[in-house]
Formats: sequence, C-alpha cells, structure tokens
Amino acid sequence: MSGFKKERIEHYETLLREIWIASAKYLGMVSVNLLLERVVWEVSLEYKEIELLQYDQNGISCTRIAASLEENPDLPVEDMFMKFITRYVAILAKLLGHERAEEIKTKLKEEATGISFSTREEG
Amino acid sequence: MPTNLLLNISVKYWQDFQDTLANVMDANIYIFDVNGGSFSQFSLPVELCREVNKGRVLRDEKCISFYKSALGSLEDKDMLTCPYGIKLCAYRLGSYAQKIGFLIITPTRLITQVGREEENIFVTKAHSIYQTINEVLKAILERNLLGLRRLELNSIYEISRLMTSVVELDKVLDLIANSLIIIYKVDLCFVGLREGDKIRIAQAKGEHSHLLTGTEWPLIQPLIEQIFSKVEPLSLSLEELRTLPGLTDLEVTPGTEIIVYPLWSALGAVGLLGIVAPVSQDDSGSKNLQIYANFAAVALANATFIRRLEREAETDFLTGFFNKRSLRNMLFTELERTMRYGTPLSIVFVDIDNFKAYNDTYGHVAGDVVLQKASEIIKNSIRNVDIAGRYGGEEFVIILPGTEKEGAAKVAERIRKSIEIYPFPYRQVTASLGIALAKNNDSVDSLLERADQALYQAKSQGKNRFYLDPS
Repeated sequence: MSGFKKERIEHYETLLREIWIASAKYLGMVSVNLLLERVVWEVSLEYKEIELLQYDQNGISCTRIAASLEENPDLPVEDMFMKFITRYVAILAKLLGHERAEEIKTKLKEEATGISFSTREEG
Repeated sequence: MPTNLLLNISVKYWQDFQDTLANVMDANIYIFDVNGGSFSQFSLPVELCREVNKGRVLRDEKCISFYKSALGSLEDKDMLTCPYGIKLCAYRLGSYAQKIGFLIITPTRLITQVGREEENIFVTKAHSIYQTINEVLKAILERNLLGLRRLELNSIYEISRLMTSVVELDKVLDLIANSLIIIYKVDLCFVGLREGDKIRIAQAKGEHSHLLTGTEWPLIQPLIEQIFSKVEPLSLSLEELRTLPGLTDLEVTPGTEIIVYPLWSALGAVGLLGIVAPVSQDDSGSKNLQIYANFAAVALANATFIRRLEREAETDFLTGFFNKRSLRNMLFTELERTMRYGTPLSIVFVDIDNFKAYNDTYGHVAGDVVLQKASEIIKNSIRNVDIAGRYGGEEFVIILPGTEKEGAAKVAERIRKSIEIYPFPYRQVTASLGIALAKNNDSVDSLLERADQALYQAKSQGKNRFYLDPS
C-alpha cells in the first residue's frame, strides 16, 4: 500500500512540476512562490503534511512528503494533492484568465488521464 | 475571508475528537455549519432516532425542516423538542463577530421517560460539552486566522521589498494585481494610472477584467472626484461602479464588496486601486490592504517617474520624435534584424531647405513652428511600424523596415510634396531628402553616411527633391 502511495506521490510530483513550469512562464517566480505559499497554507489547515512540500526558484519536490509515509501510512495522498491542485488552478485562472488556465489544464490532463480539474473552486 | 476557509480543518480528526467527547459525556453530538449544512456526523449510533422513527430514515424531511427552522431563529441557546418528541439542547457556536455554526446535543435515552432531575443533569452536561467545543473551535479559528495574517505579512514584506526596488512599470502593475488575487482571493483587481486629466486602467486581472483594461475615466467624473476627495478607500455598490465609462455591463457576484483605494504619493494622486472581494475584511485585513495600497502608490510613483525620465531621455522635446541617440539605437536593432532575416531596410534623411535663413529672418519661434509642422507631416506620411526621429537641427531620419528603395522613394516624394504645399507662415518651405538601402555589411554609421551623401546630392541638384543612393 505504501509502495502504491509513493508511486502516486511521484505521479503528483510530475504534475506539480508541469504546473510550476507553466505558471512560472506566465507569472514570474515571485508570484508563483507566493501562490504556492498561499495554497500550501490553505491545504495545511486540513493536511499538515502538505507543509513538507519543498519549492524554490529551482523547482518543486515531494520527497519529504513521500518520506513521511513511513510514519503516517494512512495519509490520504489523493485527496490532499487533488485539493492542492484544484485550489492552485482556481487562483491561477483568476491570474491568467480562464483561457490560459484551460491551456494549462489541457496540458495537465495529458499528463494525468482520469483526473478532473476545475478552474472554479468547489463551494 | 470566507468563514468556511477559516473553519477548514480535517473533518476526520474533528470527528474523532467529537466522538471521544460524546462517549466520555454519554451524549450525542452533531454540528451544523453556519449555513445549516452538515459539518460533522452524529457521534453515536442514533438508536434513539431509530426508535422514534420506527426504523425509517434517521433524518427525514420533517427533521431537516425542523432543524432549519429552529436553528434559523436560535439566539444563543435553547432547549428544543424535535418532531418525534426528543428533547435536545441547541447552541450557537462562535461569537457575534465570527459565527461558526450550531451545536446539537441529544441524550442517549429519551428524556421524556425519565425524571426532572435527570433532565437537569443532561442540561448541565450539554452546557459543558458546548463550552468545550466552542473553545476548541474558537482556538482553531484563531490559529487559522493567525496563519493567514502570517502569510499576509510575509507577502507584504516580500512585495514591499520588490515593489520599491523593481522600476519596470509593467512588472510593478503585475505584482500588485497578482499578490492581491493570491492573498485575498479577490474576484477582480484593477490598477488605474493618472495620466494628465484622466485615469487610465493599466492593469486588470480576474473576472470581467477585459471590460476594464485600457478604459479611461476623466478626473472630473463625479465618482472619480469622490474617490480622490479623501485619503481613505471608498466602498462602492455595483450601481455606483457602473457609472464609470465602459463599466455599464460589469457584473459581480452578489454579496461581494467593491473597494477603491486612491493612490497618493508625496507628489499627489498617482492612480487608483480597485478590488472586488468575496467578503468583507476584518480590521486587521483592512489595515493590511491599506498597507498594500500605500506600497503600491510608492512603487507606481517610482516606476512612472522613471518611465517618464526614460521617455524624456529618448524623446526630442520640440517635436515629440525620437532623438538622435535613441534613433541610432533603433537603427542598430533594425539593421541586425535585416541581416538575420534578409528583409530590406531603407532610411530617408530629410533636411528643411534654407532653414537657417528662415530662422534668422522670422525668428526662432517661427523656426520651431516649421520643425513641428514638418514632423507632423512626416508622422502622417509613414506607417506605424516606421520610425521617425529628429537627428539634429533641421534634420530628420526615417527608418523604413521591410521597404525597398522604390517604396522609400514613394514615401520621400509624399513627404516632399506635403511640405511643399503646406501653408507655413511667411513663405513657402521645401525639403530635400536622401534615400539609402541597407547592405549586408552596413553599420549604423555607414548607412547614415550614404543617406547623408544622397541628401547632399539632392541639395546640390537644386533642393526640394529626393535622391536615391545608387550603390
């Protein structure tokens, strides 16, 4: 089970890198880091483990989240990352306009078949 | 800040805590959010309800309608009896300023079947549960709010540092709009810059931002006058905002707050900052937003001042054309493009004939008028992609990207003729023009030199004509 979750974390790490590259291109590093900090805080209210996400001007890494599975194998990885990505993309849509956000979403969908993204936040 | 965000906690962890409390206190606990929706589940199996409902669904329509009606009119606390006769204690959670939700506590046995004393014990127990849960929820809210404030302050620090060091106006505008959308999750953010007697929206992001970008509002427009009549921000209704030119079709989500901050610096009004936010800010949030607005004003004042200096440094004051230095820089860029892509590039040297005599005879003011009118004629004779500048004295240079000699000759003749027929004061004015086509090995100087030589030929052949460099 833990092995499967680690695979899923690796998968989400790839997705987050794609989002990071795409949004840095349009927003610049300062705004992207601010956006990451904001979404990490928001998701951390429910899942503290998201604070283990590492990001700086060189990229984004989920290594410490994967390592935390040793101590917390029940971590709801899917829900945590989906909430993170949904909230990130919702703010991104406001910043870039829905058209560009749709472009990024389409690109992400190619990377992650079967995952539904919304540029509108859930109520 | 949305209430649901501040109450954003792990429901699983909360349910564990609530269930443990319910077991210890031997009472059932249920929580509704502030809108009457479910926040948590019943802590204990609802045997009581099952008994009452005789095996039917635990919460039928009758129950839902009862809760909605009872909680809607609940002041602080009340002892209620559900449609099936179960007595329960209901409490409002949170404070008057920050409403969190509603707490329902029911006994694990039917109180109607036991004595008065047991009912009193249940009420005391329910009150203890209420106090515990209310304190825990308030602590969570405080913690979440502190987290948000920390995030706000961190970003204000970063943004203030950048906004006062970044001088490119576009980057400053981007930073202001981005940070407001990211931190405050505003639906719409717009920044207007003061340009003379009007405000021009230089940046707009978020919903319906396309309606605002580029719109201009006169400073004498009543609402704009009202905004700049004081230092504090102005809270507006949608109807008021719609009175601004170009915003008649603007829509915002009902319940959102529209605030416009006048941006002031030591030199006066710099512009304005508008946000459409989903909920009102508390006192700290409003102060932080004001800090943002203050930094935005300083950053915009710096950036616009530097942009003006840069423009002045590359512009000829009399004609508004590019000056010699910026013209040479642009010619360098165009030459590079020509070499790289193999597209043609022509330049035209224009010189007003006998300008010194005109100036000496009719005075410098009259001479300046000739230069201004000539520059207007040149501007009206070229395309938007062409570049014109005052090279010095009565000399102008026109850069014509993508243009062969024949095309350049047509432009030159158009300018010559327009100057010749223009009714300048005192007497007729004419111009001579020299044309050169860029070669592969040309430098800025060699190309200008050939155009100047062509101009010399036009002069020596009798003036009021153009000459094509034959090489």
